[in-house]
Amino acid sequence: MNLLKDVAAELIGMFFGDARMTLAVLLIIAASGALIGLTGLDPLVGGGVLALGCPVLLIANVRRSKSAVLHP
Amino acid sequence: MLIWSTAAPAVGAAFLASLVEVVEAFTIVLAVATLRGWRPAALGTGAALALLAGAVLLLGPLLNHVPLHALQLAIGILLLLMGMSWLRKACLRSAGIIPLHDEDAIFAAETAHLGGAVQRHQARLDWIAGMTALKGVLLEGLEVVFIVIAVGAGGGLLLPASLGALLACALVLLIGAIVHRPLSRVPENTLKFGVGVMLSAFGVFWTGEGFGLDWPGQDLALLVFAAIFLAAGLVGSTLARSPAMEVVR
Repeated sequence: MNLLKDVAAELIGMFFGDARMTLAVLLIIAASGALIGLTGLDPLVGGGVLALGCPVLLIANVRRSKSAVLHP
Repeated sequence: MLIWSTAAPAVGAAFLASLVEVVEAFTIVLAVATLRGWRPAALGTGAALALLAGAVLLLGPLLNHVPLHALQLAIGILLLLMGMSWLRKACLRSAGIIPLHDEDAIFAAETAHLGGAVQRHQARLDWIAGMTALKGVLLEGLEVVFIVIAVGAGGGLLLPASLGALLACALVLLIGAIVHRPLSRVPENTLKFGVGVMLSAFGVFWTGEGFGLDWPGQDLALLVFAAIFLAAGLVGSTLARSPAMEVVR
């Protein structure tokens, strides 16, 4: 049972390391999907949100994580 | 026919990611072997590899039944989450905000943990050692299996990606057999940074394809995404290391 628990923890840890970042990535993906599938805009607009939103989010998250460690 | 603009990133990502994970698994197996000999270490490792192979053989054919766009979307989202998590950790580790992965320290900790367990359960020494090896290889191997499937399945590149992973295993085993100590000089954080860049790029690519988007330049878009994530990772690392950020705040 311990092994199964460890496997489950490893799988969760693989994808959901930081809850805020996970949630934000999922929101960007949802926004991108909505722009591509639900609006009449050029699908590349949704693609651009995905391709540029995630890197910007990464920078913001690293910055926030550093601040959280330095000023808990 | 193999398209190298797609195959090279897939093989590279599988090779580098596997290198990181196999080095970590090797440290645990070496600790077991040092304390209890190679027999339980080899048995535990073999059992873990058999479990992983079983999982691949069981789940692999199911992928053929999933519609391509749904598969690309699911894999893309998971790759994006995993890749960005690796990139984030690599940025923070490079600045010392979270500690670096230290193979020597892990080796010492595993040896001490096993030594303690051995003293408590004299009668089951080899069983405990074998289970430790099994767990280490299984947990690290899960990531390798996912990455190989993720970077390979969406574009029909399972075989090249598997070869990349096997090459990494062979390389680590070869070097490990020669030096016979934890591979602490492998620049693990740099490798994780590089793999994070590639996994994130694949994640954006497959997620877009999953939504039915045709990326301009098709497979070459992967290289553009990799460049964007590389730049973001470098900016993130610089920001994390910068003392000026405290002043800004």
